[in-house]
Amino acid sequence: MRNFLAICRRELAATFLSPVAYVTMLVFLALSGLIFWYAVVTGVGTGEPLPTMLFGGVVFCVTILVTVVSMRLFAEEIRLGSLEALMTAPVTESQVVAGKYAGAFLFLLLTVTLPVGFPFILRAMSPGVASLDYGALLGGYLITVLFAAFALATGLLISLLTRNQIVAAIACFCVVWLALLLGNVAAMAAPGPAEVARYLSAVDHVLAFSRGSVDTRPIALYLSGTAFMLFAAVRVLEALRR
Amino acid sequence: MIEATHLTKRYGRILALDNVTFRVQRGEIVGFLGPNGAGKTTTMRIISTYLPATGGTVRVCGVDVLDDPLAVRRHIGYMPENVPLYPEMRVREYLRYRGTLKGLRGRRLRARVEEAMAACDLGDVRRRVIGRLSKGYAQRVGLADALLHEPDVLIMDEPTLGLDPNQQRRVRDLIRSLARRHTVLLSSHILSEVEQTCERVLIIDKGRVVASDTPQRLVSFLRGEPHVRMEIQGPADAVVEKVMALPHVRNVACETKGGWQHLTCRCARGADVRPALFALAAAEQWTVRELRLEQSNLEDVFAELTSEQGGEGVASPDAAGREAAA
Ligand SMILES: Nc1ncnc2c1ncn2[C@@H]1O[C@H](COP(=O)(O)OP(=O)(O)O)[C@@H](O)[C@H]1O
Ligand SMILES: [Mg+2]
Repeated sequence: MRNFLAICRRELAATFLSPVAYVTMLVFLALSGLIFWYAVVTGVGTGEPLPTMLFGGVVFCVTILVTVVSMRLFAEEIRLGSLEALMTAPVTESQVVAGKYAGAFLFLLLTVTLPVGFPFILRAMSPGVASLDYGALLGGYLITVLFAAFALATGLLISLLTRNQIVAAIACFCVVWLALLLGNVAAMAAPGPAEVARYLSAVDHVLAFSRGSVDTRPIALYLSGTAFMLFAAVRVLEALRR
Repeated sequence: MIEATHLTKRYGRILALDNVTFRVQRGEIVGFLGPNGAGKTTTMRIISTYLPATGGTVRVCGVDVLDDPLAVRRHIGYMPENVPLYPEMRVREYLRYRGTLKGLRGRRLRARVEEAMAACDLGDVRRRVIGRLSKGYAQRVGLADALLHEPDVLIMDEPTLGLDPNQQRRVRDLIRSLARRHTVLLSSHILSEVEQTCERVLIIDKGRVVASDTPQRLVSFLRGEPHVRMEIQGPADAVVEKVMALPHVRNVACETKGGWQHLTCRCARGADVRPALFALAAAEQWTVRELRLEQSNLEDVFAELTSEQGGEGVASPDAAGREAAA
């Protein structure tokens, strides 16, 4: 447990010590703010709830965020050779994977939480805006965080497979977009099993949750997906040293 | 402390280690010497549980590295080749992090970090960012890290790689000062370095241990005191006495096998005593059935080890010898 905490803390510190973190955070906020603003301006009168406008945009920005955060996780250690120092200290593979994941996730969580303030700012600026459904806001936030958690685990696994951060970033970006839109693409290609495919569509989940219709199946999907990716990462880390 | 038996390591098709067997006793300071690509790093990674061996076993303090890698890691302070560190961290912060991973807590952690920094002369850079340290300081941070948890065994892969001669000397002095409390295994591809630091040397080449001896004996042996082997029939005492009396002969070992005296003569460097030996045998009417100068099978390894010291003479071509264990 102490090893886990130590690794998590170092990961968090490493993130905040690099300017990349702040730049990413700013870009993320600016981009998701812009998308939200655009959605509000064009969506006036359509009856679309604010949380949907917010998280529909945020979830796309999350793909960039996750890519930037996860690409250096292991790729950097492998490139520096510090993985050798790390894995010859008395720590287990699971502690290393869990610690690094937790450190990166905390940063992600903080960053994804900030845009939740946008609707409140909007309301403060223009009191005429329709009332805010807190349940829907919470639902949208929950599913966005879950998706981010899953995407981060995927990115972590990918960064274990290469020492090149750029390769890790590109691969991660592609895979996360696939996860985001796979369901929609599959539903378009084969309308028959569309129901099953919809079950995989992250965009649909986010839109549904942020309208207030919370479903346990996507929650289970992302939780188990995250667990699977992390488990695979532990195995890859073991197999890496051969 | 370290027992490696029949170690074999394959990377795909490459055979990096071929049946390597050696032991390091408690308190010893042993140098692992070999040209680049000999398999030093591979061996050290196996001992420090970073890599599994393809065959054979390693025990550290009686624990098999595959059975209980975490226990082995607690006994070992390992300094990898090129000393990888986190560039964004500060020296003391890094050492505290590493100490925590190695199971140190609270007051003891802080005390050990201070002690290790003092031992490695890092006091004035404790707050500096590692990425901006000179190579010599970075190397010492790696060494302080290896020392943190007071391991029984210190394993250092090319600890002076990339340092200037001054820094090299400081690191060597540091390592020598550690030798009393720890068992040390260090690797190097420079003969003179191992000669100055270690009590015993294992020479490894192409994945095999080719020699193991004290550096003084290996060096004098390798620096070309020619060996002449001779098989002769005559009275043993008289043979030894008269051969010893020849100019340039330093030492004679004599063994009687089946009525023949097998002589091994160690001679002064650059001298060829074969004509004198033959003349002696002819004068004394001893029968000679063999007389040859022996070539060292270590010579090629040695040439590579010395060529990187910059111009210091390589063993003369007729330097002779058998096994280094002689
Ligand atoms: N990860 C690896 N994959 C494939 N071959 C390797 C790997 N590491 C080392 N080797 C090969 O194994 C041999 C021994 O290498 P190494 O142990 O690094 O030697 P040294 O440290 O003595 O220079 C070399 O031929 C090297 O090319
Ligand atoms: Mg090496």
